[in-house]
Amino acid sequence: MLKEMLTLLKKQQKQASLSVDKLEGEQTSLKEKEFSRNLQGNLSILKHLYSIPDNKDIKLRELYLEGFNRQAALLFISTITDVKSIEENILKPLTENTSSDKKVKDIVAIQMVHEITLYKDAVKDINKGNALLILDGEPKAYIMDCPDFQSRAIEKPESEILIKGPKEAFNEKAVANISLLRKKIRNENLIVEAVEVSQRSHNDVFVLYIRGLANEKLIDNIKERLGSLDVNSIQNLSLLEEYIEERNYSLFPSILSTERPDRAASFLEDGYIVLLMDNSPDSLVLPATFWAFFHSPEDHYLRFFYGNFTRALRMTALFITIFTSAIYVAITTYHAEMIPPDLLLAIAASREKVPFPAVIEILIMELAFELIREAGLRVPSPIGPTIGIVGALILGQAAVEANIISPIVIIVVALGGLSSFAVSDLSLNFAVRLTRFLFILSAAMMGIYGMTAVFVGGLFYMVSIKSFGVPYLAPMSPNYKSSKDTIFRRLTKNETLRPGFLKTTDLQKKTTGE
Amino acid sequence: MRQDKGKIGIKEYFAIISLTVGAKLSDDTPAIIYENAKNAGWLAALLIGILSFFPIILLIKVYSAHKGKNLHEILLHLFGRFFGTLLSICLLIGGTIAVIADSGTYVDIIGSMYFTKTPAIILYIILMVICAYGAKRGIEQIGAVSWLLLPYIKITLFIALIFTFKKGTLGYLFPFWGEGPLEVAKASVKNVSIFVDFFYLALIMPLISSYKDMKKGTLISLVFITVELSLALVAYVVLFDYTTAEMLNYPFHETIRFIQIGFLANVETLFFPFWLVATLIRFSFYLYLIATLLGGILKIKEFEYLIPLIATIILLIGLSPDAPSITLYTVREKILGLLSPAFMILPPFMWIVAKIRGDFKNETSL
Repeated sequence: MLKEMLTLLKKQQKQASLSVDKLEGEQTSLKEKEFSRNLQGNLSILKHLYSIPDNKDIKLRELYLEGFNRQAALLFISTITDVKSIEENILKPLTENTSSDKKVKDIVAIQMVHEITLYKDAVKDINKGNALLILDGEPKAYIMDCPDFQSRAIEKPESEILIKGPKEAFNEKAVANISLLRKKIRNENLIVEAVEVSQRSHNDVFVLYIRGLANEKLIDNIKERLGSLDVNSIQNLSLLEEYIEERNYSLFPSILSTERPDRAASFLEDGYIVLLMDNSPDSLVLPATFWAFFHSPEDHYLRFFYGNFTRALRMTALFITIFTSAIYVAITTYHAEMIPPDLLLAIAASREKVPFPAVIEILIMELAFELIREAGLRVPSPIGPTIGIVGALILGQAAVEANIISPIVIIVVALGGLSSFAVSDLSLNFAVRLTRFLFILSAAMMGIYGMTAVFVGGLFYMVSIKSFGVPYLAPMSPNYKSSKDTIFRRLTKNETLRPGFLKTTDLQKKTTGE
Repeated sequence: MRQDKGKIGIKEYFAIISLTVGAKLSDDTPAIIYENAKNAGWLAALLIGILSFFPIILLIKVYSAHKGKNLHEILLHLFGRFFGTLLSICLLIGGTIAVIADSGTYVDIIGSMYFTKTPAIILYIILMVICAYGAKRGIEQIGAVSWLLLPYIKITLFIALIFTFKKGTLGYLFPFWGEGPLEVAKASVKNVSIFVDFFYLALIMPLISSYKDMKKGTLISLVFITVELSLALVAYVVLFDYTTAEMLNYPFHETIRFIQIGFLANVETLFFPFWLVATLIRFSFYLYLIATLLGGILKIKEFEYLIPLIATIILLIGLSPDAPSITLYTVREKILGLLSPAFMILPPFMWIVAKIRGDFKNETSL
């Protein structure tokens, strides 16, 4: 009852705040106007909108068109337009034209020419790098398609490194990224929809999916979520992720971010949805399950046994990262009888001079490792990690000699730390590293009992969370029809089904050829 | 496509049963069976399995005429509002006492075998907090976790059994019939309520994706558990001989203390976590069952909110006995003795009433 009232109250407040919401300083009323027949009038409004001449890269070129016998003006932002194209394909044909009954469309040599009547649309298109042409005596304007944003070229992936497989990565230009995807999926049903997500900066998010495969409800759900955002600016996908994910306080990521077009393409082909955005050298794949974070595309590029060997290694690494330190704490503090006597004596001897309990020792060392790792990441050169590891070794050596840390703790922590690098996905990596501390604390408090309790509680949590309606550990548990690509993969020719939890229109993706 | 909301499939159903009922081989149930059946305890276990087959099949038959209703609703339908509710309340009380005694026993196992210095109340609180959390997540999640962990739990159990057989003397199994076939039969009839959980399972039968899956899952898991329990009982006798096995309150834990794997002399901490996982899942499921029943009786739709309350009550009562290993053992024995006739009689009774009322008429096939 109280809860309902509270939610109702919140809703009302939200509505109130929405209606008040007007973008101050955006000159909205001016933008709603229509173009007039008077060129000078139009220009003065545009000059006002673009703060000409304060705004240095906005170029306004007035010219006289002999063919039409009229004054005209061309407006564009020189830093984001293809100036050469403007010169060659717009200005030159227009000025050289002598016939008076040709239309503008037929004169300019530009891919797309639109006619618009509202200032709102004019501003929107100019901001996207297009040029605007106004003729005297016409209550409309022409938009010429000629954007040229600066960006870097297509390079090799940097965080998802493979030995075998394609070496292209997404860059900050959405157009280039879409082109990389279209290169892999040559199908007219690959749909690229644009949704504007911010009011001031007008950032577009491209929603990619394969029509006829991806679940329509899911697409609508995502488009609705994107459309309902009420923010001034979202620069890139990494920032967008937090706006559209369901559990912001959860340790586990629920949207996969990948910089590899081959990976994004294979997700698309399975019926997932991919988001792209300008300024993001990556893509978001959703819905994402635990397995999506756990897998690497190389598992499939390598031969069957090699790929599965890597998977086994990665799973082991995952468990080592989460559990070694905690198990060390639990066993030395609560279950010493479990260790064979010789080893027990060795551990006791090495810990003899150390003044701290095992858990403090481990926490000191784990913290040191995390610090070195973080610092090494920020060292501005590719040798950063190397310095970090050298630093860790020297620090460890000194700490042992100073009797602050026992040598066995160094082994335990280093093993856990190194294993954590085998978990390649950044989000999952963080999740794993943070859970590790949870387990260390529970082990310190209640030994194996505490660890098991936290483990089971965590598992209950993991199976109950969902990413866009898909259970996190699907298809393993709860069980769905799928190609069973979870911890291990099957032969590629036997992976005949798309994941059942996506509720794709077509479940079968190939036949076994029998 | 499977997966209607809030339903579980056959795999999850099987996993839940084999973890919850299967966990019984690791508490003091074996001791209770050995007490009467001596070294033929494993035969008694097989007999119990065969005996409980009849009430279970009748229960399924009754359910087949009332698809979509849970146990409480079926009882209401068969016996009318008053007697149905009364029966449900009796079941609720019986179930709650059983869970209290069981959870007390498990806490006692943890406290006396592994964490001797930790106060029982802390162990109990942790157990109940995690189980209440799990139960509150719902049946789907319990099923998912069970299915996820089932292989590992059963594999470790299997390993433990293999090492037990390696170490044991098969001759301890003879005489084959223990104190005679009659004694074995008596022991089985007395303790048939070890599988009374199956009766309570009727509470979640409507939550299984299809009737066929439910029937198949129930019967497969009954066979699986019977064999498993019987194997474990053989293992304990083979390792300890029946006089010792009878004396041991928690033979499973003594077994994993006793065996040795290669250079590792003390392996109980290796098996302990797996057993604990099964325990946690088990009580989560029981809490969920009790909450379903209580919610049904009190007509509370969102019965998940009852779970913390039930967990607290169980915790408070379960903590009260002074010498849990003795008190709870007797309580458990008494409950088993009480529930056995109920388990054997109630389903046939329900079936007869359903038959008289003519519920089976408009039904095409079983």
